[in-house]
Order: sequence, then structure tokens, then C-alpha cells
Amino acid sequence: MTMEEGNVAAGKRKRNIGKKKGNKTKNKKLKMLEGKGKKLRVSKKMRNLFEKRARDYNSDDDEEEEERKEKENTEAAATRRGGGGDNSSEGSDDSGGGGGGGGGEEEEGGEIQPGVMKFTEGVRAFRVAFKNIIKRNIANDSLGPVLSGHKQLIAKKLAEEEAERKVKGEAKKEKHLVAEKGHVKPANYLDSHEKFLIGIATKGVVKLFNAVNKAQKAQKGLDPSRSKDAKMIRKRSKEAFFSELGKTSFPVQNSSSKDNTSCDPSNDEGPAWAPLRDNYMLTNPKLKDWDKMADSAIVDDVGRMSEDSGSDDD
Amino acid sequence: MARFRNRKTKVFVKPIVKKNQQQQSNVDHITGNKIPKSFVFSRGKLPGPIKQLQMDLRKLMLPYTALNLKEKKRNNLKDFLNVAGPMGVTHFLILSKTETSPFLRVAKTPQGPTLTFKIHEYSLAVDIAQSQLRPRCPQDLFKNPPLIVLSGFAAGDEHLKLTTTMFKNIFPDIDINTVKLSSCQRIVLLNYNKDTKLIDFRHYSIRLQPVGVSRRIRKFVQNHQVPDLRNLQDVSDFITKAGYGSESEAEEEAATVTLTSDLSRVNRASTKSAVKLQEIGPRMTLQLTKIEGGLCSGEVMFSEYGNGGNKEKPDSERGNEKEDGDNDDEMRDSDEDNEGEDNEDAIEESDEDDEED
Repeated sequence: MTMEEGNVAAGKRKRNIGKKKGNKTKNKKLKMLEGKGKKLRVSKKMRNLFEKRARDYNSDDDEEEEERKEKENTEAAATRRGGGGDNSSEGSDDSGGGGGGGGGEEEEGGEIQPGVMKFTEGVRAFRVAFKNIIKRNIANDSLGPVLSGHKQLIAKKLAEEEAERKVKGEAKKEKHLVAEKGHVKPANYLDSHEKFLIGIATKGVVKLFNAVNKAQKAQKGLDPSRSKDAKMIRKRSKEAFFSELGKTSFPVQNSSSKDNTSCDPSNDEGPAWAPLRDNYMLTNPKLKDWDKMADSAIVDDVGRMSEDSGSDDD
Repeated sequence: MARFRNRKTKVFVKPIVKKNQQQQSNVDHITGNKIPKSFVFSRGKLPGPIKQLQMDLRKLMLPYTALNLKEKKRNNLKDFLNVAGPMGVTHFLILSKTETSPFLRVAKTPQGPTLTFKIHEYSLAVDIAQSQLRPRCPQDLFKNPPLIVLSGFAAGDEHLKLTTTMFKNIFPDIDINTVKLSSCQRIVLLNYNKDTKLIDFRHYSIRLQPVGVSRRIRKFVQNHQVPDLRNLQDVSDFITKAGYGSESEAEEEAATVTLTSDLSRVNRASTKSAVKLQEIGPRMTLQLTKIEGGLCSGEVMFSEYGNGGNKEKPDSERGNEKEDGDNDDEMRDSDEDNEGEDNEDAIEESDEDDEED
């Protein structure tokens, strides 16, 4: 049992000698060792054995035996490493660590003896240091677990970042305010002003509808195809309409209605449908001489079209 | 060489016409007057809510406007003018934003006067829909152009008269002999307040509701839902039960109309119906700040702040330099055109209305 344990310990030591910073693995192994409740004390005999093995491993003899021995040693070491890896719960790290550790030990070569002694002390020392660190970080900072001693630096950086964010946020808010200027969300209820406006609009609509009704009712009885009746229709509807609108006092409306009635008799003759009238579209002074204008208009259109088509090509 | 020339005159504005929509006629086949069409666009980069306001205004001006008008940064006013000509567009509504507030400019193409309004406050259509208990937007609400009602402009000066004519001409005329009442579904109200010199701009949808019918029966007929007769002894109880009269019924008395034709199953001919308005669309409070003779240029005919000249012009635009001389005459001519026989598209009321009634 002791041999095995010793072997296990040797394997682990080989693994970790080059890597004093392998915290996790070491920590776990240390814990494991503590869990076992034993402190491993290497007897002189064991130490010699280990040294011999290390020497053998590092020697440059080409003899087969030694090669074989080396192979065996390496194989044994590999199995030990593998076994050690299985023992501890982390697989891949340990094999890597073991390889590193083994390499480290081999490189040291002639200084193995002092290295081995330092190793155990180093392990102990590291354990103490690590425990101190863990203890220290129980205090939970707002900055989070920070191992570096430069806490102030980090605090500064974070403060800077926040300040930047604040400035940006304010700028955005200002922009937003300017964009929303004048935008008013209406209230849920109808306040008095709105009711007043709706009242005005309703009155207008009612007047219009009543006028239309009167005009169209007057038209109902008469047949619009008969020219005599058509004249009657127009007359009656016009009167009805303007009387309807003229009931309430509209100064502007009255003036405009007067204009209408004055110019109406002149336009009264002729059919009801606009295009059949002789002066269809001719009241617009621009279109009076349309037949004379035709050529120039066509030329203009053609000119514009060619421009557009030219631009489309490009 | 050809490339250089083409780059200058290239037009990027491409309004998209829906395929199933017939080509819109330029001239109203009933009245013979030109149908006014409009472009609603913006100058300069607009922040979020104002883009929505632009969309709301476009919907308001339907159907005679380009709903999907796409504009690029490098479009000038000239580009829009070039496209407006062949398409028969008569009015521009231009939105812009300075640091102080958004501005709305209403201009008549090609050389017409430009009215500049400062938007003091505005609410979007979505805001208004959120603030209402039952927002209402039937599907074919925007198929027909709206009516327009101008109020409070009566005793105004020249600039107010110009405003009224301008707004009257933006929307097409209505021939009362042939108009169908079912096609009048929207109304735009402009109310001028003399004291504050602010114009309230509102947009409502019109709804007709039969009057004299109790609420339960009306709902039953409209919704086709079988009513709950559990607690009643007889059907006559359901019909004759005296429901509480809503407070709006008193107002409805004044707002009733008698229909000549059947508008729907519920609103039948020769029965009284009440006119109910519900607000949709944007709400704005405008102040007229400037009138210019040309299209965003020209002589300043009226200025609220007393300083003439085009000082407060937002960023990149080059207006046309046209003469402003004949603008007054032009306005008068268009007045005569539009106020032909049997046409009324705007009804003006003064504030002394209430006394008369």
C-alpha cells in the first residue's frame, strides 16, 4: 500500500515539479492528500529510489538495457501518471500537467536532489499562499473578485465608462426632446374646446346634408331629360340651396353667393353635364386657345419626354 | 459629356401608382373643373414623429395624392415641380423642422403663393386612436375626398382670405345635385381663433346613426347578436324597456338630418338620422407666419413677425425664381373657376351662428 502511495506521490511530484503554478491541480491533490489524513513522508530508501530513477531517465546511455529500463520507467511513470490522473478528478489537465512536471524534473537533471527537496517545501508554501488568497477574497466587492492589487485602477476605469455612458445618454435624451417638440398626446376625454370644435363641424355637415337633401328632393319629381324640366330643376335647386345656406348670416358666403347668381344666368343655358357645355374648360384663360396651343404643348411634352428618357438611359 | 448633362436633369421622384387603380382623371367629369391633386413631402431630415405626421397628412389628402411618394435627399423643389406638371399636381404640402418647431408650407404649383404655418402642437393619428374608447376606421374611409369646413375666418384680412381660398381649392368640389351622401365620409375642420391667431386643424369621420330608436334595438339590428332575454317575460319587454337616455341624445336633436336615400340597412330614406363625428387623423395647431408670392420664394406678402425676406428657410432647398406679379390675379381667376354653378365645397360659418339658431 505504501509503495503504491509512494508511487502515486512520486508520480504526482514528477508531474508538478515544473509547474508550481498549477493551482487547481495542486490544490485538489493537496486537498486529496489532506483528506486522506496523511502527510506523506518520504523515507530515505524511497528517496534514493527516486533519484536513481531520475538519473536513469536523464542519462544518455545507448545500451538496450538502459533503454528498456527507461522505457519501463517511462511506461511506469506514464501509468502512474495515468493512475494519478484518475485518482484526481481532473483528467486532461493532469496528464498535461504531469507531462510538464515530468519534463521539468528531467531537465533539471543533476540538480534533482535539491529540486526534490524544494518541491515539497514549495508545495507547502504554495498551499499556504493559496489559502491566504482564498481567505482574502471572501469579502465581496462590487468590483467582483479582483486579485490584482491595483483596485483603484479598475475602479477608475469603471467610473470612466459610466461617465461616458451618462454623457451619451444625456445627449440622446436632448436629441429626443428636440425631436418630440410640439408633439402632444391628446387627453382621453373630450375637453370643452374639442367639443366646441366637433359642434362646429357637425353643424357644417348637417347644413350640407340638408341642403343636398333639399336639392335632390326637388330633383326627384322632375325628369332631367326633358329640357324644360331640366331648367326648372336647376333653378329650383339653386334657390333652395342658397336659401338654405343663406339662412344664417355669412358675410363672406353672401357675397360669394351673389357673385354666383349674377354670373349664373349667363351659364344657365346648355346641358347639365359639363363637357356638353360650350364653354367647357374654356373659362380657364390658359386653355382658351387650346387649338392654337396644341402644337407648342406637344413640342413641350416631347421635349420633356426626351429629357426624361435620356436620363433614364444613363 | 452626355453623362454630365443627364446627371443634372435626372429626376428621382417616383410616385407609385397602384395597379388596380384606374388612372386618375385630371378633370372632374361632373363639374368640369380640374381636380386638385397634391404632393405631401418633407424638406430636410425629419425626426420620427414628424415622419408619421407626414404619413397622416398623406392619408388625409387621399385619394388625390401620392401615398407612396418616395423622395431622396438630393431632390430639390425643382424635381418635384418637374414631376408635378405632367401628373397634374396642383398643390404641395411641405413639412420641415427647425430647432424651434415644425413648419408646414402649403403652396400652389407652379407659381402659386406659399403659405407658411408654424405648427405649435400636433397629435398623430395613432395617438388619437389610443385616446379613444372605440376608435373607428372603416375600410373605405379614404376612398373619397373629405369635405372642408372653415370657421372663424369671416372677418379676416387679406391674408386670411387667401388662406381660405387656398384651403378650399386643395380639396375637390362637390356638386350637390349629384353627390351621394354615402360618399361624404370625412371632414376637415379649420377653425380660426381671432385672439390667439391660431388655426385649429381637425379631421373627423362622419357617421350616421338613426334617431328615435332605442339603443338596444339599434345594436341588435347592427350587430346581429341575439340578445339575452333571460330575465324578461315577453319580447315586448325587450322592445319597450325604457333605457336611460345617453347625454348625447340631447345634442343629437340639433344634428339630425333627413336622408333622401337609403345609406344602409339602418339609415333608411325619409327617416331621421343623427350625424356623429369621431376624430381620426392628425390634430394640429397652426399659426400663419408668412405668405410668399412665389413657390417658396418671391415677394413676402405677409409676415407675422414683420421682418420681410426669406430668413427662416430650413437647409437645402432652391426655390424657383419666378415673378410674383400676377399672383393676385391668378387667385381671382381660380375663384371664379371653382365657384361655378351649383358647386359648394366649403361652408363658412361665423361665430355669430349660435344666436341665429
